[in-house]
Amino acid sequence: MTKSRLATTLGCFALLCLVIAAVLAWYVTRTPASPFAAQASAAPPDPALVQRGEYVARLGDCVACHSLPEAAPFTGGLKMATPLGAIYATNITADRATGIGAYSLADFDRAVRHGVTPDGRRLYPAMPYPSYAKLSDDDIRALYAFFMHGVSPAAQANKPSEIPWPLNLRWPIALWNGLFTDPAPYPAKPDQDAQWNRGAYIVQGPGHCGSCHTPRGLAFNEKGLSEASKTYLAGGLLDGWYAPSLRNDPNTGLGRWNEADIVSFLKHGRNRHAVVYGSMTEAFNNSTQFMSDEDLGAIAHYLKSLPGDPSRDGPAWQYQASELSAASSAPGAHTYVSRCATCHGLDGRGQAEWMPPLAGATSALAREDASAINITLNGSQRIVAAGVPDAYRMPAFREQLSDREIAEVLSFVRSTWGNHGGAVEAKAVGKLREHTGPASSNPIILQMR
Amino acid sequence: MQLRINQTTYEVDADADTPLLWVIRDDLGLTGTKYGCGLAQCGACSVLVDGAVVRACVTPVAGVVGREITTIEAVEADAVGKRVVSAWVKHQVAQCGYCQSGQVMAATALLKHTPHPSDAQIAAAMVNLCRCGTYNAIHAAVHDVAAAQENA
Repeated sequence: MTKSRLATTLGCFALLCLVIAAVLAWYVTRTPASPFAAQASAAPPDPALVQRGEYVARLGDCVACHSLPEAAPFTGGLKMATPLGAIYATNITADRATGIGAYSLADFDRAVRHGVTPDGRRLYPAMPYPSYAKLSDDDIRALYAFFMHGVSPAAQANKPSEIPWPLNLRWPIALWNGLFTDPAPYPAKPDQDAQWNRGAYIVQGPGHCGSCHTPRGLAFNEKGLSEASKTYLAGGLLDGWYAPSLRNDPNTGLGRWNEADIVSFLKHGRNRHAVVYGSMTEAFNNSTQFMSDEDLGAIAHYLKSLPGDPSRDGPAWQYQASELSAASSAPGAHTYVSRCATCHGLDGRGQAEWMPPLAGATSALAREDASAINITLNGSQRIVAAGVPDAYRMPAFREQLSDREIAEVLSFVRSTWGNHGGAVEAKAVGKLREHTGPASSNPIILQMR
Repeated sequence: MQLRINQTTYEVDADADTPLLWVIRDDLGLTGTKYGCGLAQCGACSVLVDGAVVRACVTPVAGVVGREITTIEAVEADAVGKRVVSAWVKHQVAQCGYCQSGQVMAATALLKHTPHPSDAQIAAAMVNLCRCGTYNAIHAAVHDVAAAQENA
């Protein structure tokens, strides 16, 4: 009696497990829906659509990961370190054997907006499909036209990822997607004007600003994909750089910038508050400077609508004058005067928009000191605006200053002129020194055709 | 834009972000100021702006409009600068000489601001690089000028 009940229970349990497994197996391998599924590939598209697609590719900065400086455009190969092992960006030219030449529009849509390849494999979210999910149908169609007809097909086999088994199983990513992504395109907000909605679309969708600027959770998920979350674009730490808040935080964000400042930063790479550096250099060199003035204005308009958070950001920075000379004895002050002041000024205010001020700089106000350390160790990459490399760039000090000297000079900068980022430890400098290398002094521009 | 260099007013046609060094050397032909590293690291391009030493390779020209610029060509028009050059000759400081115009400008700025610098102050101010290693001679020459000023 008891035995048979046990058998029944076990049988039910086994059946339940089987059903769950079957549902799970279906879920993690299913092909997401695409509005383009029933459409056959058409004849070569209107050149205007290809051109429009090229612009969408600029907005999305596809080239930043899918091209290498010495290789044919969009043939992939960029190595990306993940906590699990290295992965490589893929060939997305229309080459049929090694690229995406065999993709239908629906296949392309599923890869870009949902991170699923035609054979059902899930992409790693290093591909920012959680953001690209918001792309409009029209932009997907244009992007497809550009990659199929605007980019020369080039044979270049993809490199396999270096993530070991069983971590390299792709199906769990489907569960991650279910938890952390929203597959719907950007829904325009009727209570906001067209400019705001355009800005929100670019920032959240193709621009994928949140990939760096939104803090990430334990599962490496962005803690918000739109302004509905208070942590959306609130600043994040990634690849040895602190991507500052893009909300109206006066210290760590854009609180002291007006819309024209934001447009100038994204169009020219500089404004009176800051100059592009770190990972943003690639985003500027390859993407933001190519955006239209209307789109940049829309981005600025949208970002300025995101409220700051005083409990996270602290009391607003105010300039405090500080007497400095070569004889200053505070630790770090002498290094500042002899190494930094020629450009950044004895008063910390920099020189117009060419050399950024350190007084009031995000890197000197944020608790996270990674950007301050990284730029001092490794210097800045060349900013190339409108085809012209910048006249001035931050040199790398890794060979000239010890961990302790860098810690002292940064502690000085982060506690002078009203800055309140706080002290930097030599240990933190040493750690970043090991994991980073000096920025190239060569201008690097990735071609899209 | 107009620049005041060595008591002379020059009409200059340059982009706002052009380094002062290019204007001085290429446009105005004042080649005594040298290009070294281009990154404000070595000091070969040092000039005086309103009496303070700046590195011309990282100085956007728009930032020095309306200010008084002095280059090595006119340093002897300044009383302190004249004594610095004499001390440099007396101590035979220069070897290859490439960095020396910058060294003279840095020493002049130091001595105008601090007539009797301590060793620490000299070390702190004279951070220009010299690949010939003339640092000891530079120290001696600076001390010489400081002592002479004391006697004067």
